[in-house]
Amino acid sequence: MRIVVAEEGCMGCRYCENICSVHFVDEFRPAYSAIRVVFELPESHVMKPNVCRQCEPEPPPCAEACPAGAIVKDEKLGIYVVDRESCTACGSCVEACPYDAIFLPPGAEFSVKCDLCGGQPKCVEWCPRDVLRLE
Amino acid sequence: MKVGGFIGRILRVNLTTGDVKTEPINWEWARKFFGGKGLAAKYLYEELSAGTDPLSPENMMIFMTGPLTGTVSPCSGKHVVVSKSPASCTFLDCYAGGYWGAELKYAGFDGVIIRGRASKPVYLWIHDGEAEIRDASHLWGKDTHETEKALKEELGKDVKVCSIGPAGENLVKFACITNDLFRQAARGGIGAVMGSKNLKAIAVEGHGGVWVPDIEKFVDVCKSVIDEDVLGREDDHGWAITDGTPIIVGLSQGTALFPTRNFQTGVFEEAEKIGSDAVKAVTVARKACFNCPLACGNITLIKEGRFAGTLVEGPEYETLALTGSNCGIGDLGAIAKFNLLCDRLGIDTISAGNVVAFAMELYERGILTKEDTGGLDLRFGNVDAYIQMPELIAYKRGIGGLLAEGVRTAAERIGKGAEKYALHVKGVEYPGYDPRGSYGMALAYATADRGCCHLRAWIVADEAFGDMPPYTFDGKPERVIFLENRNSVKWSLIICDFYLVDYPVMSKLVSACTGWDVSPEELKIAGERIWNLTRLFNVREGFSRKDDTVPPRITTEELPDGVAKGQKIKLEEFEAALSRYYQLRGWDENGIPTEEKLKELGLK
Repeated sequence: MRIVVAEEGCMGCRYCENICSVHFVDEFRPAYSAIRVVFELPESHVMKPNVCRQCEPEPPPCAEACPAGAIVKDEKLGIYVVDRESCTACGSCVEACPYDAIFLPPGAEFSVKCDLCGGQPKCVEWCPRDVLRLE
Repeated sequence: MKVGGFIGRILRVNLTTGDVKTEPINWEWARKFFGGKGLAAKYLYEELSAGTDPLSPENMMIFMTGPLTGTVSPCSGKHVVVSKSPASCTFLDCYAGGYWGAELKYAGFDGVIIRGRASKPVYLWIHDGEAEIRDASHLWGKDTHETEKALKEELGKDVKVCSIGPAGENLVKFACITNDLFRQAARGGIGAVMGSKNLKAIAVEGHGGVWVPDIEKFVDVCKSVIDEDVLGREDDHGWAITDGTPIIVGLSQGTALFPTRNFQTGVFEEAEKIGSDAVKAVTVARKACFNCPLACGNITLIKEGRFAGTLVEGPEYETLALTGSNCGIGDLGAIAKFNLLCDRLGIDTISAGNVVAFAMELYERGILTKEDTGGLDLRFGNVDAYIQMPELIAYKRGIGGLLAEGVRTAAERIGKGAEKYALHVKGVEYPGYDPRGSYGMALAYATADRGCCHLRAWIVADEAFGDMPPYTFDGKPERVIFLENRNSVKWSLIICDFYLVDYPVMSKLVSACTGWDVSPEELKIAGERIWNLTRLFNVREGFSRKDDTVPPRITTEELPDGVAKGQKIKLEEFEAALSRYYQLRGWDENGIPTEEKLKELGLK
């Protein structure tokens, strides 16, 4: 399973970011969001959320790069998630991700990676233009 | 003290001394005025001496958010900038969408209060609870887009920037502040205040959050409000999703109040070329502010002709009306280019359109000649001359130096009866609804606390575009008061104009966010309190009934075309409506709030 982003239709409201952060830190705090809208204004009108592709084949580059073995498979969802307890916030996963889709906010104790909110992603539910879907 | 939605901290900056400090928000005021307009008005009223020159170091600039800013509450992406206006010398509050306001809260502040004047150009860098004043000599002279780009290169790509362009640096009386490229705190010369402080920009980045006491409950409230009260009310909000403000072109044209050639008529023969369908044809994306499900903005790209390649968020209705039809311009590409120039140079398009149209009319009437215009053939509809105007104004070159003062001062300096063609109230230029086609707007413009403004009471939606008879003042004072009060508290939370939210829903949102028990009735009273506070500010500056006016054209000339043909505002009817307005407000015949009213509202 992963979140698929439509090529067009994003209008940059960043609801996905804000609601995602609530899942991770119980605050409105987009710095702790696993999804980020990428803007190219004013050169181009393109706006598009960037989120973890849940890379295949296994293991994904982030998990491979993690020295603490903190990016582990969630057998129920079939995707790799960050185990906050063992994550040392070293940033190796951020460097390894080919899509810039895993995040380490300044001062954070764990890296932020899309875990599909346990199967019902909030961003998909909240996107006002159905740009995001779960596949 | 910890209250949901609030960071609880205000940043104080004195640019003269270089002093930067943090203080707790005034909780007593926050509980009474919430945030945004109300709270900033309270700080300004208490701390600014009467008679302060708006462009002196003593004037204050207050950037303020509301308790809902940065949360998932719908249409809460705006911040406000409050000051004393150099255009009107009244209270001034300017709202801008985008992302800057939310970022300020994530950076650890509810608001920023700025005083003084730096000895050389500076910018303010606010990040994660800290702030520093930095040299901006390398930015001075740059336009807003160049400034934003340079600061992102300097500080990081996720930084949010608000800045002034050359117009603000040069103290143009209708200079704006541009943030997030295409969003403006636009009116009343707020950009000139910033320029007078030698403050080029404020860059913000924050990794913090906004806390609410019961986030699960608050998120549920917001989601149901979005689904049921915002997206679910298609009749009220559908236009914002499908069209955005350009849809108003058709409404204004159809009701013959579409400002054309400096308000000489309300019908523009080329309206279709600059209407919503025309804008849709060049729209490449829709654009939202932070956490807004409506996304009323249109990113347009002009693909053909002389202005091919112009990419802008807009043009919005006001720009289409004032810089389009009001200048006799039916070329959407030219309007988009003019719009982009204004955004980058840092000029308010409403006032820019007014001053250019004013000059065009004077030119056609022979009051201004080619000698005055520097050889420009400043006829209505002449794109060649029109497109040069933003730069002339921003750099105060040639005729632009005169026009940069706004229509009131320009008319005074020109003389020769020019004031007959100056459309303004208190020195702030007229917006895009000719009140002769919707009488209530005359009252709304006259009583607006920041000088002429269409947003405080957009009663045209009820009259010409709605069910109320448009050519009478009957029932209008009541409605204008209702709208002014409601918007005052709505802009304190801060919720965008385009979400038509009522008191019960506001109460639900702000109560769930803050944890305070805020009833609809309390919000209603707070709105009235805030409107009276800004009136008190203006009264202290010497404003009264004599300043709540209608320009001569509106009271002496009949609209010549369309359904409103033959309409003008009869001065005695307007004065009677104004008296009734004062009476209903509990103000005296001179427009001064009575002791009794002030006591009732807790302002005395």
